[in-house]
Amino acid sequence: MALWRRLRALPTWILPVALGAVLLMLPVLGLDFSASRQIQLACILALLVSGLNLSLGYAGELALGQAAMYAAGAYTAGMLSAAGHTDIAVQLAASGLVVLAVGLLTGVAGLRLGSWSLAMTSFFLVLLVPDVLAVFAGRTGGRNGLSGILGPTLFGRPLDPTGFYLVIGVVLVAWFAVMRNIVVSRHGVALRVLKQSPVLASSMGISAFRMKLLAYALGAIPAGLAGALFANLDLYVSPEAFGFTLATTVLAASILGGTTSVYGALAGAAVMQFGPSQSSRFQEFALVFTGVFLIVGGVLVRGGLADLARKAVTRLDRAAGLTPQPASGTEGTADIPPIKGATLAVEDVSKAFGGNRALDGVNFRAAPGRVTALIGPNGSGKTTLLNMVCGFYRTDSGRILLDGERLEGATPHRVARAGVARTFQTPSIPDGVTVLEAVAAGRYSTDRASVLSAVLRLPGFRRVRRADREEAERMLALVGMGHLRGERASALPLGMRRLLEVARSLIAAPGVLLLDEAASGLDEDEVDRLAELIRRIRAAGGTVVLVEHNFRLVLDLADDIVVLAHGQVIAQGPPAEIETNPRVLGEYLGAAQEVA
Amino acid sequence: MTIIWGGLALGAVYALVAVGYNIVFISSKTFNFAQAQLMMVGTFVAHTGLVTLRLPVALVVLMATAAVMAVAAVEERLAIRPVGDPEAVLVTTLGAAVLLNGLTQLVWGGQPLTVPFFGGDQVLELLGGRVYPVEIALVVVAVALVVLFTWFSRRFVTGLALLAMAEDREAAMLRGIDVRRLAFWTFAASGALAGLLGVFVGPKTFAVATLGASLALKGFVVVAIGGFGSMPGTLVGGLVVGLVEALAARHLGSEYASISVFAVLIAILLVRPSGLFVRTRERAV
Amino acid sequence: MTAPLSPEPVLRVRNLATGYGDLRVVWDVSLDVRPGELTVLLGRNGAGKTSTLRAVAGLNKASAGSVELAGADVTRTPAHRRVRQGLAYVQEGKRVFHRQTVEQNLVVGGYTRGMSRSALRAEAEGIYEIFPVLGDKRNVLAGDMSGGQQQMLAIGQALMAAPKVLLLDEPSGGLAPVIVGQVMEQVARLREHGIGVLLVEQALEASIRVADHIVVLDMGRVLVSVRKDDLDDIATLREAYFGRRAGHEPLRSSPDDR
Repeated sequence: MALWRRLRALPTWILPVALGAVLLMLPVLGLDFSASRQIQLACILALLVSGLNLSLGYAGELALGQAAMYAAGAYTAGMLSAAGHTDIAVQLAASGLVVLAVGLLTGVAGLRLGSWSLAMTSFFLVLLVPDVLAVFAGRTGGRNGLSGILGPTLFGRPLDPTGFYLVIGVVLVAWFAVMRNIVVSRHGVALRVLKQSPVLASSMGISAFRMKLLAYALGAIPAGLAGALFANLDLYVSPEAFGFTLATTVLAASILGGTTSVYGALAGAAVMQFGPSQSSRFQEFALVFTGVFLIVGGVLVRGGLADLARKAVTRLDRAAGLTPQPASGTEGTADIPPIKGATLAVEDVSKAFGGNRALDGVNFRAAPGRVTALIGPNGSGKTTLLNMVCGFYRTDSGRILLDGERLEGATPHRVARAGVARTFQTPSIPDGVTVLEAVAAGRYSTDRASVLSAVLRLPGFRRVRRADREEAERMLALVGMGHLRGERASALPLGMRRLLEVARSLIAAPGVLLLDEAASGLDEDEVDRLAELIRRIRAAGGTVVLVEHNFRLVLDLADDIVVLAHGQVIAQGPPAEIETNPRVLGEYLGAAQEVA
Repeated sequence: MTIIWGGLALGAVYALVAVGYNIVFISSKTFNFAQAQLMMVGTFVAHTGLVTLRLPVALVVLMATAAVMAVAAVEERLAIRPVGDPEAVLVTTLGAAVLLNGLTQLVWGGQPLTVPFFGGDQVLELLGGRVYPVEIALVVVAVALVVLFTWFSRRFVTGLALLAMAEDREAAMLRGIDVRRLAFWTFAASGALAGLLGVFVGPKTFAVATLGASLALKGFVVVAIGGFGSMPGTLVGGLVVGLVEALAARHLGSEYASISVFAVLIAILLVRPSGLFVRTRERAV
Repeated sequence: MTAPLSPEPVLRVRNLATGYGDLRVVWDVSLDVRPGELTVLLGRNGAGKTSTLRAVAGLNKASAGSVELAGADVTRTPAHRRVRQGLAYVQEGKRVFHRQTVEQNLVVGGYTRGMSRSALRAEAEGIYEIFPVLGDKRNVLAGDMSGGQQQMLAIGQALMAAPKVLLLDEPSGGLAPVIVGQVMEQVARLREHGIGVLLVEQALEASIRVADHIVVLDMGRVLVSVRKDDLDDIATLREAYFGRRAGHEPLRSSPDDR
């Protein structure tokens, strides 16, 4: 246990770096040809798997066309080499760029499709590889394969097998460093937000489509690199190498290693390479293994080997007494800094679904420093109105203004960037991130740092990261959850998750905060805490819109109440007026007349 | 005209796969990637029965039906029922497909095997084109199957229950329908059907382990064109895919056959994502 | 407690708790429904009425408490088996099968009775007697009918299973006032068939008029449970409706002084 404690004291990147070093040292220690070849093939497979992890595991896109990207990379490098451009660095760069272009192109078309359609379409793409190659048979060699690839060179000098081995090793290490840097950065968290729910992503100002495309196109790059390396390994490429079998092997390795992990790709690729492929003389056994892995992986091992490893680490940590004890959490009195609230104006908004008028000429106004409550019976149009403000539905007529800027017609992520933050009836929290990260994710669109700066850890990225952390700490202190910063956000109890959503919304310094049924399912203490928090937000100058069933809470908190029924505003005013309004009592509370 | 007949027969094969997809989709809202592989197993069983064992046709039909039904039942229990979300089901049924590919290669090898058609292989002249009896049989079977399914689903209480389950699973449960049991038997039935059809499809495509992937994807295109859950849609989709493939191969070259089908798929998905025969819902709640 | 003439309850719910995931909506609900009687379940939006019905029907798991149907404990029984044992549930929102005709809807409703389609079609004649309008439209697609007719069809479909208990969730929801009266009248008459009815409504007045027993929920707990004969003052109910929690101080002074 003492040894474990000492090990855990080391930075987490030590282990991968050490592994990388060992990988690069292997040829020096003496490695026979077949072992060396197996390792190189495993590295190439690991690159493919890692790319798939980025799009499937982190962005949640069932895009299974890695084999086609691989082929594109291999043929790019192969044709360059055949034409005399044998420098491996040039080929890697060219292959990477070509597949990035292919990724962007197919992504723009394919990512609009739903899950099955995308999966089948991308598989179809794989099936087309031999046909496309046959169409360009003059340059690709068609079904006979591309021969005439020359031995690789680096900076003008020919590469011997050991040299080439080192190139593969370096590419692998470099890509995993890139992958790791993306995943642990705010972009990695944003991807998990997207996977949790595209609705959540766009409500946080993240364009779901651009994020998907980013993950998909970036995931293509390692496939392209792998292709270039593969072409130079055998100096021959043929369509058979990029078929259905490869596509399913990559998927199986990804699931086996854990789709939502960085280094799981290595483990999955190693197992698939050294397991089934040992019997590569019996191709059919490989298929049986792949099939079994896919079924067992899909049914049982949810997080793959990576998840098992994580659990083991947690258990060892606990045994070694490394788990931090939650500090007593009596904070929560931190002052809210002044908030610059905006005025939300809904003017004459109407919306019909089919022949059904969901909203009919709705007018209301929510002002800074005030809590405006929206109440009404089921089906009165509250949710429709909320979705309309957030940009999920288009208005049929009327205007929605935020400090005079028109919001109607804008996409949800633009509305969010304009300063509309919201919480959800059922809290929507991404899986696999800490409380602190979940809150910091609320800043994704307010303070920008490019993926490239995250990969290279540029000063700009470091500054944004520091600001993310500081702000998130402050918000957590505000809602009294500072002691939970390191916990898994999605595992918190409901009340805590609601407060976390409020913190995540507040961190973007929104002009308007929309709280959708924030009190439902909370016990009385939690309701009181929430009410207190809302009062403080109001005192700091925020604009709060409360959609709520809990009539008492509304009477208690709201400055203005808007009552909806049958898609129309039937009453509007301060609580004292609303609770005695006969129409409200009739429509909303259903107790207008005496039974007598 | 010979091309047209060939294309129609091919389209019928794809439509038959699509009917299987649809039966499963209607009953359990899942997509069984291994549907085409089930049919492939049917063709292999047909080969063994007709060629290796020289059994009578009726017995082979029974054998193929029962064998594939059993395979499908096992698949449902192991790869579908324990899995919660539909995306994971795609992965596990894909696993089942790969596993079936691997197992059939182990048992029957990788070479294409012939499946004789019980209706003979005398080439016929029909409407100015040459056509094999099995090609006519395929088209007839595809049409008959769609008609039969439509009739069954309207005529029998169980058929109505199936449609009810497709429309609103929870409401069906509240009418006393054991949706899980019904889904299981429907899945097994789709397997039985795939086995039975193996006897018809085998003579056209041969029994070969590479049959699955291509059939699976083309069958999917048929469903994408016709719409998920629409039985008449499978006939139209099959017609389109079969003809496009046959005509492209004839006039553009064989390497363009699949590319053309892919182009049709992309066009359909971008223009009408839910297919030609399924109405889109306006309300997104 | 029990009035001497009342028969044993056909539905007995005790200390029920349920919710969605870890979101608990119903904390502690107990109620009885007797054959030939109508119990109305009242409460504001979000009070836990629908969740109670869902748990009674078996759509949501009960995290605590029990549900007894005709003397048998069904707390762990799957929803479709509860239908077989005599429980029918008409959900809110007229969830009939839109792509089937009225007659096909009714036939599916009798699924649990193990009869042939023609026998079930004969059974449907009984439903047409209760709701004549359905008989006139037997070959019309359910999706093409008006909201009120769909509501009648939904009830008729549930009756096809020959239930002992009928759960009705807001049958008046989204209907014009005239239709509400008609539907309520039909609901009240179901008692003549010896069926116990558990009715969820937001419309206080209309539902109390037809009720035998009244249960008011608030925040997932029973606030008031009273037989209508014992209810001498509707004001008590109104007060319950307006913001007092049993055993708790209201968040804000009660609006009595208005």
